[in-house]
Amino acid sequence: MSALTFELKHTPDQRLDLSSLVPAKLADLNRKQIEALQIGTTRQKLTVGDAFKLKGKDVNTLHFAGTDARCDKIGAQLSGGEIHVEGDVGAYLGTFMKSGKIAVKGSTGALAAASMAGGHIAISRNVGDQACGVGLGDTMGMKGGFVTIGGNAGGLLGERMRRGLVVVGGKAGDYAGGRMIAGTLLLKRGAGRYAGYGNRRGSLIFTEKPRSILPTYGDCGVMEFDYLRLLEQWLRGQGMSIRLGAKARRLMGDMAVLGKGEMLILA
Amino acid sequence: MSDLKLKGITIVETFAEAFPMVGTRIIITAPTAEWADIAARTMTGFATSVIACGAEAGIEGKLSRKETPDGRPGVSVLLFTMDAGKLQTQLRNRAGQCVLTSPGSACFSGLEGEKTLKLGASLRFFGDGWQMSKVLGGKRYWRIPVMDGEFLCEDKVGLTKKAVGGGNLLVLGKSHGGVLAACTRAVKAMAEVPGVITPFPGGIVRSGSKVGSKYKGQIASTNDAYCPTLKAAVKTELPLSVEAVMEIVIDGLTADAISEAMYEGIHAICRGGAREGVTHITAGNYGGNLGPHHFHLKEIVG
Repeated sequence: MSALTFELKHTPDQRLDLSSLVPAKLADLNRKQIEALQIGTTRQKLTVGDAFKLKGKDVNTLHFAGTDARCDKIGAQLSGGEIHVEGDVGAYLGTFMKSGKIAVKGSTGALAAASMAGGHIAISRNVGDQACGVGLGDTMGMKGGFVTIGGNAGGLLGERMRRGLVVVGGKAGDYAGGRMIAGTLLLKRGAGRYAGYGNRRGSLIFTEKPRSILPTYGDCGVMEFDYLRLLEQWLRGQGMSIRLGAKARRLMGDMAVLGKGEMLILA
Repeated sequence: MSDLKLKGITIVETFAEAFPMVGTRIIITAPTAEWADIAARTMTGFATSVIACGAEAGIEGKLSRKETPDGRPGVSVLLFTMDAGKLQTQLRNRAGQCVLTSPGSACFSGLEGEKTLKLGASLRFFGDGWQMSKVLGGKRYWRIPVMDGEFLCEDKVGLTKKAVGGGNLLVLGKSHGGVLAACTRAVKAMAEVPGVITPFPGGIVRSGSKVGSKYKGQIASTNDAYCPTLKAAVKTELPLSVEAVMEIVIDGLTADAISEAMYEGIHAICRGGAREGVTHITAGNYGGNLGPHHFHLKEIVG
C-alpha cells in the first residue's frame, strides 16, 4: 500500500492547522472524510480537499509535498507512524509528539519539536526560534526523543528542555539551552550569545570552541568522557557520523542557578 | 542400559539433572582489554556455587571494540542466582564493589528482558547528587563522577527466568593428569559457546558434593560415591581402575546453550582418546525427581 500523500495545490491564503493529519486521527476515516477535515485558521472555512490533492492509502506513512511556511502543526501529537515532508513547514512541527518519525526536507518555523516527548524528527535545513522549547500551555520544553537539524537553529533552542538529544549541524542562535533543565544539545557550529543561560542539569556539547562563554560557568579542565564515546557510537547507529572522541573541556554551570549542568567543549 | 563408546571412552547412558535459575548478562568495558578482564574477574570472583557464594558467575567471553556500546574493549559477564531478589543484591554488590571501583570501567546491559534489574539505578547514589542521567534511544545511562573521571553505567539490565544451572559432566579416568588435561580442553571448548559459563576454578570442580551430611548444619558434603579413595568403603560408582574424577558444572541463559556446551565439552574430552587416561564420561543427577531439566548424554552426543 502506498503512502497517503497530501500535495499542496496552491499557496494557501491563510495559515493551515494540519494537526489532524496524523496516523492516529486518520486511521478510521475514508478518503471523503479526510478531505472534509477542517484545516483553516480563519473565519473562512478551508478543508483538506480544498488545499491538498490526495494520493495513496497507507495512513501509517504520510507524505506532504509542496508545503510552505504557512503549514503549521504537521505531526503535532504524533504517536506512531511516519511523516515525510518535501518543502518548508510552518510552526509547531511535531509539537507534543510522543513517538514515530518526522522527516522534513526543508526549513521549519518557530517551536518545532516543542514539548516533544519521544520519537525522531529530522529537519534537513533551518529551524525557527524556540525549537525543542516549551509547547503552548506547557511548563517544560522537550521531554524526550531525538531531533536532528541539518542547518541553523533560531534563538532559545531547547528552552526549558527536560530530556532528549538535539543535534544541530549549523549554528544555534542566542540563548541556546536557555533555562535548560536537563537533556543534551550537540552543537556542531557553535551558538550565539548566552548559550546555557540558566542551565540546571543540561549538557551543551560544542564540537568547536564557542565564541563566548557566560561568566557563570566554571572550568573543570580537560578529561576523558566515556559518555562521548557512547554518544558517538549511538549516533553512528542512527546513521550519523560525528567524530566526538572522548576528550573534552568541562565547564559546569549555570552557577547562577543550580549549576549542575555542563558545557563539554571537545578538545 | 547401553553405553556409548567414543574414541575408547565410555559415555555412560545417564543424564545431567539441572535446575531453573534466574540470570543476567552485563558488559564491562575499560580503556584496555586487560583492564576490562580485571574488572570482570574481580566481579565474578568467589562465585562458584550458590551454596555459599550467593551467586554463580563467570566470564562469558571477550568483546571487541565493535561489539561494545562505547567502542572500547569489553568483557561479557553472566550472573546467576536462584531468585530475582538475590540476583539484584548480588548484581548491586558485585558491580558496586568490583566494577565501579575498577579504573576506567563502564558497565552496560547485555540482556534485554521484560523484567529488569537495577544497575546504574542503584549505583547512581554513589554520585551523592553529582550524578547525571542521559537517555539515548530509550535507554537511560548514569554518569557518576569518580576520581579518575566518570563511571558510565546503564540504568537497568534485563533478567531471564529461563536460565538453567547445574548442567554437568563427570569425567572419570585412570590418570589425574589425563583427566585434568581433558577437562581443561573441554572448558576451553565450552567457552566458545555463547550464553554459558563454567563457574568453578578454571571451569573444573574436583570436590563434587552430595546433598546433606552426617554433620548437623552441613548442607552439602563430599560425593563419596565418586571419591576414588573410598571405593572399598562406600557404595561406589567408580571402577577400581579410576584414579580421579573431575566435574564441569555449566550454567546457561537457556537450556539449549547448556546442551551445546555439553556437546562441545564431550567431544573435546574425547579428542584425547582413551590413551590420555580418561575412561568414562558420566553426569550427575538426583534420580530425575528434583530438577526439571534433564540433559541425556546419549542424545547430546548423537
